[in-house]
Amino acid sequence: MKDLTEDQIERAAKLKGMGTSRKRVEDVRFTQGKGNYVDDIKLDGMLFGDFVRSPYAHARVKSINIEEAMKVPGVVAVLTAKDLEPLSLHWMPTLAGDKQMVLADGKVLFQGQEVAFVVASDRYAAADAVELVEVDYEELPVIVNPFEALKSDVVLREDIKDETSGAHGPRNHHNHIFTWTEGNEAATEQAIDSAEVVAEEMVYYHRTHPCPLETCGTVASMDKVTGKLTVWGTFQAPHVVRTVASLLSGIEEHNIRVISPDIGGGFGNKVGVYPGYICAIVASIVTGKPVKWIEDRMDNLMATAFARDYWMKGRISATKDGKITGLHCHVTADHGAFDACADPTKFPAGFFHICTGSYDIPAAFVKVDGVYTNKAPGGVAYRCSFRVTEAAYFIERMIEVLAIELNMDAAELRRINFIRADQFPYQSALGWEYDSGDYHTAWDKALKAVDYEGLRKEQAQRIEDFKAGKTRKLLGIGLTHFTEIVGAGPVKNCDILGMGMFDSCEIRIHPTGSAIARLGTISQGQAHATTFAQILATETGIPADSITIEEGDTDTAPYGLGTYGSRSTPVAGAATALAGRKIRAKAQMIAAYLLEVHDDDVEWDVDRFSVKGAPERFKTMKEIAYAAYNQAIPGLEPGLEAVSYYDPPNMTYPFGAYICVMEVDVDTGQWDIRQFYALDDCGTRINPMVIDGQVHGGVTEALAIAMGQEIAYDDMGNVKTGTLMDFFLPTAWEVPNYTTDHTVTPSPHHPIGAKGVGESPNVGGVPAFSNAVHDAFRAFGLRQSHMPHDHWRIWKIASDLGLHA
Amino acid sequence: MDLTDEIVINAPRDVVYAALQDPEVLRQCIPGCEELIKHSDTDLEAKVVLKVGPVKARFSGKVTLSPDNPPEAFSLTGEGSGGAAGFAKGGADVHLEDRGEETLLRYTAKVDIGGKLAQLGSRLIQGTAKKLSAQFFASFAETVEETEKA
Repeated sequence: MKDLTEDQIERAAKLKGMGTSRKRVEDVRFTQGKGNYVDDIKLDGMLFGDFVRSPYAHARVKSINIEEAMKVPGVVAVLTAKDLEPLSLHWMPTLAGDKQMVLADGKVLFQGQEVAFVVASDRYAAADAVELVEVDYEELPVIVNPFEALKSDVVLREDIKDETSGAHGPRNHHNHIFTWTEGNEAATEQAIDSAEVVAEEMVYYHRTHPCPLETCGTVASMDKVTGKLTVWGTFQAPHVVRTVASLLSGIEEHNIRVISPDIGGGFGNKVGVYPGYICAIVASIVTGKPVKWIEDRMDNLMATAFARDYWMKGRISATKDGKITGLHCHVTADHGAFDACADPTKFPAGFFHICTGSYDIPAAFVKVDGVYTNKAPGGVAYRCSFRVTEAAYFIERMIEVLAIELNMDAAELRRINFIRADQFPYQSALGWEYDSGDYHTAWDKALKAVDYEGLRKEQAQRIEDFKAGKTRKLLGIGLTHFTEIVGAGPVKNCDILGMGMFDSCEIRIHPTGSAIARLGTISQGQAHATTFAQILATETGIPADSITIEEGDTDTAPYGLGTYGSRSTPVAGAATALAGRKIRAKAQMIAAYLLEVHDDDVEWDVDRFSVKGAPERFKTMKEIAYAAYNQAIPGLEPGLEAVSYYDPPNMTYPFGAYICVMEVDVDTGQWDIRQFYALDDCGTRINPMVIDGQVHGGVTEALAIAMGQEIAYDDMGNVKTGTLMDFFLPTAWEVPNYTTDHTVTPSPHHPIGAKGVGESPNVGGVPAFSNAVHDAFRAFGLRQSHMPHDHWRIWKIASDLGLHA
Repeated sequence: MDLTDEIVINAPRDVVYAALQDPEVLRQCIPGCEELIKHSDTDLEAKVVLKVGPVKARFSGKVTLSPDNPPEAFSLTGEGSGGAAGFAKGGADVHLEDRGEETLLRYTAKVDIGGKLAQLGSRLIQGTAKKLSAQFFASFAETVEETEKA
């Protein structure tokens, strides 16, 4: 490929296309407090809804008395399951093939579950009325441990207690949901049985919550005159919400308009449909007025989609020289009271079977048992790429445990097991085809950047000093080399409630040369309006500043499956590039006509088409756009627009190398991050600054998860961490400076080679922090200690190892 | 949540025992108690206003007394609901040791708290419960001792 001339470089720079750190256009309104969120929507006559929630984790609902509540001035209605039953809306289908109560129907199954919906003229009247609804509960035994659930006589789901099979196959116990397997069990058992070295460990990834800054909410407005229902909401997948709303309500899709306005963080918490959305829609239809429902923080933490809660029992086998021969994993998955996991239909355990990670493992087997407990429903959220965070944590802990078993350096153990660059595309033992990667290069770069050998020498000295009583602080070096899988996904095996997981882009160029593009995705802070314009700028030669990107209004945006699982760039980004190329293809024909040459006699030059061999004769995209509206061109329709619906041929596989250097105070359990190095390979990098922002944000979430954040329950099913007093959100005090770095290994099947990066930092960050804690205590005998590694738990590790003597 | 404590009261044991069964004494000494009705020797009904951290609620509850071994020991169980604020249930074993003109009162209580109280106040409950029971016994001792003096 020819080098660009100075003139070309200058013209390309003006476009602010791919590869430039174009400033985020969204920030203009966000930094001035002029965003438009669901709670900013104010409509004439709007009513407010609020929930009566169960204080009990498991109880029968004997009666609900709304008499006193109805006396509160401003209260319009109090809905219960009885009111929703005639509409068949007292229960709703979940994304995982289960069903979930919208309002308590005979019993409640988790603390915070919705029991009644109060509708009033203002939110304070609604809150007052909530306190006056009298519910008579009869307590039932509570189960908060999945292992106990599988042995208990207590039936949680009476609605399906006689059903011996569910959406994903046979059920072997009344509290069992599904068993899902992947891989070759016989070959894996054979490898492990005949191995020279085997390491076995239970790795627990605890329950936590995405806790986005903006909680979930909706405004539903039924217009009785036009028969059209408009719903604004915190929806990461607005088109799917529209289709589901149509199926549940009987209102045809063309009479439903769903709008996702600005969303203050989603992280998977805003993918599913919540009782609040259904109740608001019903209340609006019944009252003929708009109804708003917005959660408070406790509602959000207690009742909406949580993340993780995977008990992963691992066995890994290797030769005595460290070459891995087999990997076995049995997961006990705690799904809460209803299986509301936001997974593609055919994958009840998401993409957990990426758990062979970055390593060339010849035999592997995974078995996942889903279990019901008296906790909030959900499981797939929080930048997990559908259980990839769990998978990466699992393999990166098993590698460390294997290193201990082999008495080997964990960095070296990783290196000798990496999939080699020449093995791509790589078929994993669990059925995935990894598109591209160069793990050795990334690993060497990372180890060199932190002076790994120097750190190990420093650590050895520190251990000596500790034993000699010269210091009470240990040094931990946390290593991770993760490979993740994103970009769901090929329609042939990826769907959400039947909708194939393609995505879309529709572009229209205006006569004076600027453009509007609409996508089927929806940003919740990922800067789509900035970065997708950059893709189009490079593909069409129209400056990014002249391109408006719109998402989220189902009346105007092409159908898409929304934004989660880092799928926007791999899928909608591809659609955008291809739509851009369709524009360019028509532009080429228009240019040829204007220049009076054949189509093949013009060539693309950054922002124009010029005649081959006579570059002084050209037409810019601006001139071409005008011509599309102004000229009668034989064989061409007027106008300049294009649509692309993209069905990806495969997922994409970003990877990275993260290293965390941590100081741990043995006597107080306090930790201090001395250094955090994050190398990410997301293929083609559209906007380096935005990528850095994604990494900073994701690693900070990882810090929270690994070092203190959790959704904890006591034996009665009380949520112990339901407010920000107890739910750890890092502040500037806890967050270190991050060093970001990168390699670039493009995806061979993606039109612009981009893989997506949003979730990588959470996937790679958690094992890096956790491994640092484990590494600090490795020399004193620690193998595995469950997260979160808060000060008390770290103190306990030290105490159990006898370090306080 | 488990609570255990002891207090010396300057009155003979049978006086202390009788006072513990007196609904009027209990109503005065229980912090936040608005109402205490004795339905029988063993059944009481109470309304108590309780504040734990940011949660304040009126709890309505039933208490059952079990005089296991008067006047040496007795136990009680109870449960109460605070509406939207949550619920509580538990019990206590009380032991009275005769020390002539004085009585050593020892108790162990076990309480389960649920709902919003438990969510918001879990770290505060232990401390608040200790404070409230200390308040109760201080008031109780004072009330009994004053009646004794009179």
